[in-house]
Amino acid sequence: MTCEEAQELITALVDNELSGLEQSSIEGHLKECPRCRTTYQEEMALKRDIRRAGTTLSAPAALRQRILSDRRLFPERGRKTEGWAWLVWPARLASRPAFVAALLVLVIVPALYLMRPAPQPISLTALDTHDRILRGDISLIRAESQEELRAQLHRSVEGRFAPMGYDLSMMNLRPVAGVVQDVKGRKILVTVYEGGGLTLTCYTFQGSEKDSPASAALFFDPEKKINFYIFSRNGVNGVLHREGSVICILVSKMPMQDLLDLARSKSRPS
Amino acid sequence: MVRGGKAQPEEREKFSREAMTYLDHLYRVAFHLAKEEDGAQDLVQETFVRALGSYEQFAAGTNMKAWLTRILYNFFFDHYHQRKRWVSTADKTGEEEGGDYWEKIPTENPGPEGEILTKEQNVKINEALKRIPEEFRMPILLVDMGDFSYAEAAEILSCPVGTIRSRLSRGRRLLHQYLKRYIST
Repeated sequence: MTCEEAQELITALVDNELSGLEQSSIEGHLKECPRCRTTYQEEMALKRDIRRAGTTLSAPAALRQRILSDRRLFPERGRKTEGWAWLVWPARLASRPAFVAALLVLVIVPALYLMRPAPQPISLTALDTHDRILRGDISLIRAESQEELRAQLHRSVEGRFAPMGYDLSMMNLRPVAGVVQDVKGRKILVTVYEGGGLTLTCYTFQGSEKDSPASAALFFDPEKKINFYIFSRNGVNGVLHREGSVICILVSKMPMQDLLDLARSKSRPS
Repeated sequence: MVRGGKAQPEEREKFSREAMTYLDHLYRVAFHLAKEEDGAQDLVQETFVRALGSYEQFAAGTNMKAWLTRILYNFFFDHYHQRKRWVSTADKTGEEEGGDYWEKIPTENPGPEGEILTKEQNVKINEALKRIPEEFRMPILLVDMGDFSYAEAAEILSCPVGTIRSRLSRGRRLLHQYLKRYIST
C-alpha cells in the first residue's frame, strides 16, 4: 500500500468507519510508515478541534423563542394568547358608574392578585444555583471520595433519598463537592461535577414532573419511556427527568443536545 | 411506522418538541451554510415548518436528527438556486473576509466554560472552513460537528458513502494545510 492509497483509509480509521479487512490493512501500513502515523495523529487532533469549535455555537435564545411562539409549530401554546374576541364590552352597562365600580372590584382586584409574581419553580432555582456555585457564592461540602460525598448528602435527608450519583467519567467529569439546599421546606441534594474546564451540577429531590418550568420543552425517550424536560436561561441549560418519586435535574453550560444525550444515557427507567 | 392521515394538534406539538432538541445542531449547520445569523435563523425556522408539513412521512423511531438535517440542506439549496438569497463564500479566501468572523458568532455559552478553544483557534478553524469548497465542507460539518456516520451523511447529501469518505479525506487535508500551526497533536 502506498501512502497516497492510505489517505482515505486513515480518514475512515479516525472515524471508526472501516471494515475488518481494511482496518488490519491500514494498521499494518501505519506500523511501518512513520509519516502516515503522523498523518493519523494530526487528523485525530483536527477532528477533535473541529468538534470542539462546533460546540461553542448554540442557537440564539431569540430563535428558540421565535420557534416556540410559532403557532404553526406549537398551536396549543399560541392559542393561549388569543380568544378575547368574545369579551364584547356591553356599552349600555358600561355607562353606569355602579356597574363599573363593581366590575373593578370583581375583575381588576382578582386580576392583580393573579398577576403577582409567581413563585419560581424549583427547576429554575437550580439554574440560579448553578451560576452561584460557579461564582463561588455557595459554600460546598468537600469530601475525600465520591462515596463519602454521597453518604454525607444521603445522611442530610435522614436517608429518605440519595443523590443520583451518576458516573460521568466518560465525559471527564468527576464529583468534587456537594451541598444541601432548602427551597421552601424541600431538601435538594446538589452534586457538583468538574473536569475538562466544565462544571455540571446534578440536583436530586423528591417531587414530580410538575417541578419542570411551564416553558420547558418535552422530549419523550421511546426506549426508556422517560419524559425529559429541557429548559434554559442566560446560557445555562437544564434537563429534568423523574425516576420513581425522585426528580433529577442536570444543569450545565454545555450544549443542550449534549446535556440531553447525557441525561438519556444515564437515566434509569422507574 | 409511518403515520397516516392528518396529524392532530397534540401530535404536531409533540413532534415539534422532539425536533426542538436538535435546535443547536440545526442552527450550527445553518450558520455554516448561510454564513450570517439572520439567514441561519430563517433557515432553521423554515426547516421546522417544512418538517411539520411532512410530519406524516417521518417514520417514528428513525433518525429525526438526520431527517431534519436533510430538510434543512435541501431547503438551503432550493433557495440558493432559485433566489440566490444566500451567497456562498466557500471559495473566497480568509483574507478577503477578514479574520474576526468567529467573534461574530452568537453563543449562549460565553465565559470560561464555553471558551474551550482559544479565540485564535476558533478564528482559524472558521477561516479554514470558509476557504474549502462546499462539497468538502458539508461532510466535515455533518461527520465532525454533527456526529453523523458516513451512511447518514451520505443519505443527507444524497451521495454514495464512498464519496463522503473521499471528500472528508480531501477536505481534512485542505483544512490541515490551513490549520497546522494551530492544531495540537
